[in-house]
Amino acid sequence: MSEQERRPEDDGQDFASAAWSIPSYLLAGMAIYGGGGWLLDRWLDTSAFFPIGIVLGIVLSVYLVYRKYGR
Amino acid sequence: MTTAATLLASEEGANPLIPHTYELVVGIFAFAVVFFVVGRMLVPRIQKTLAERTDAIEGGIKRAEEAQAEAQALQQQYRDQLAEARQDAARLREEAREQAAQIKAELREEAQAEARRLIEAAHAQIEADRQQAFTQLRAEIGRLSTDLAGRIVGEALEDEARRRRTVDRFLDELESSSAQAVR
Amino acid sequence: MNALTVLNPQDQFKAPTPDELFNLPPIIPGVDWFTKPVLLALLSAVIVIGFFWAAFASPKIVPRGVQNAAEVGYMFVRDQVARPFLGKDADRWMGLLLSLFFLVFAWNIMGVIPFAQFPVASHIAFPAVLAISIYVLKVYLGVRHQGPIGYFKNMMFPPGLPKPIYILLSPIEFLSNLIIAPFTHAVRLFANMFAGHMLLAFFSMVGFWFLFEHLTPLGAPIGVIGVVMTIIFTAFEMFIQFLQAFLFAMLASMYIGGSLHAEH
Repeated sequence: MSEQERRPEDDGQDFASAAWSIPSYLLAGMAIYGGGGWLLDRWLDTSAFFPIGIVLGIVLSVYLVYRKYGR
Repeated sequence: MTTAATLLASEEGANPLIPHTYELVVGIFAFAVVFFVVGRMLVPRIQKTLAERTDAIEGGIKRAEEAQAEAQALQQQYRDQLAEARQDAARLREEAREQAAQIKAELREEAQAEARRLIEAAHAQIEADRQQAFTQLRAEIGRLSTDLAGRIVGEALEDEARRRRTVDRFLDELESSSAQAVR
Repeated sequence: MNALTVLNPQDQFKAPTPDELFNLPPIIPGVDWFTKPVLLALLSAVIVIGFFWAAFASPKIVPRGVQNAAEVGYMFVRDQVARPFLGKDADRWMGLLLSLFFLVFAWNIMGVIPFAQFPVASHIAFPAVLAISIYVLKVYLGVRHQGPIGYFKNMMFPPGLPKPIYILLSPIEFLSNLIIAPFTHAVRLFANMFAGHMLLAFFSMVGFWFLFEHLTPLGAPIGVIGVVMTIIFTAFEMFIQFLQAFLFAMLASMYIGGSLHAEH
């Protein structure tokens, strides 16, 4: 309503945004880099890139969430 | 896809993640109706009412504040008047006291003057009485002395001039001695 | 295995299958689209409209009765759903968010209302259509308020990251915001209602089977456990139903807020 009330709500907004964005980001990271790895595996007839892609996706997602909301 | 329901019902384990078309239609229809009636028609009304209520409450608070300010101003005014009255009273008392003191001083002075005047009058009276008494006494003493002297000498002094001279001499001596005595 | 299996006079307890629970036949034979969830979805809409009509049709400055109750709901949505994400724009979106919250809540609570006993949102179509609506609104608002290029730039290139990293992270942002988010938005609600209904149905069927259909000295305690668990899980489900309705509306509010103002 007034200016004093805005501050805690801003914090709440950041917290909620982070909390509800994390699963979405994790899924997206895994899907993109896992998917890329799976395609590479199929193309090169290997089996290592899929798990590497999944892990890379998770790491990147966590990094992204950390940079966006962690500070 | 309207036949999909019967088709799926007969199937073993329909995929629950595949939406039915008719449910999509019903869902959006239900939401549209609720949004139109509740969101578009009713929410503005309650928002208006809430705003009015806020206004009413804030107006009430403002009115109360105004009344309080007025009461305080009035109280201040009374207090000022009271202080003024007290000051006036104190001033009057002071004046009265001063006047009283002045009057007292004047009266005292008058009384003292009167007393002085009385004393002076008394003094003057006493002096006059003394003077009179002294004059009478002098004549009396002169007569008595002559009588006494005539009786003692046994002879009448025929010569008036001589007699007066003797008496005067005697009186002069007497006067000088009495003046010394009076002093 | 179809709906008739339960009625077969068998000595063995059969757990309900998703197919039995969620694939319901039309109420009127021949009218394929008119199933129980459709009926309940429409009934919920009518109830929500009726409730708010009774409360807000001619609102009073000094509230009483239904208006009091509805105002509590309005305040809850305004203070917990709209204002944290929309700030001063909250009042403009209250109509949408209030309708959304109460319609979803009504759809969910149908799962524990006697005789209805089916959470409408456990059919993916209902959450999906709402999530799609919100998604369209989100993209539309983002393009309108931040510009077509600005919206995607703000979304995919959040400021404050080292430049080379953008090549790796932008695809994640894109996929997360534009594909995964609306999907999880709908699926979160659907899955909660689906699982909740399964649990409730399972426990109530245990109770019904062991206490009424097939009462034996050995089975009776299991039936009692089933009834107790049904009661406990009904209370728990009511909480989940409320929570999921709240989350659904809250995420919608978050998406709208994110589109109105670029993320910082």
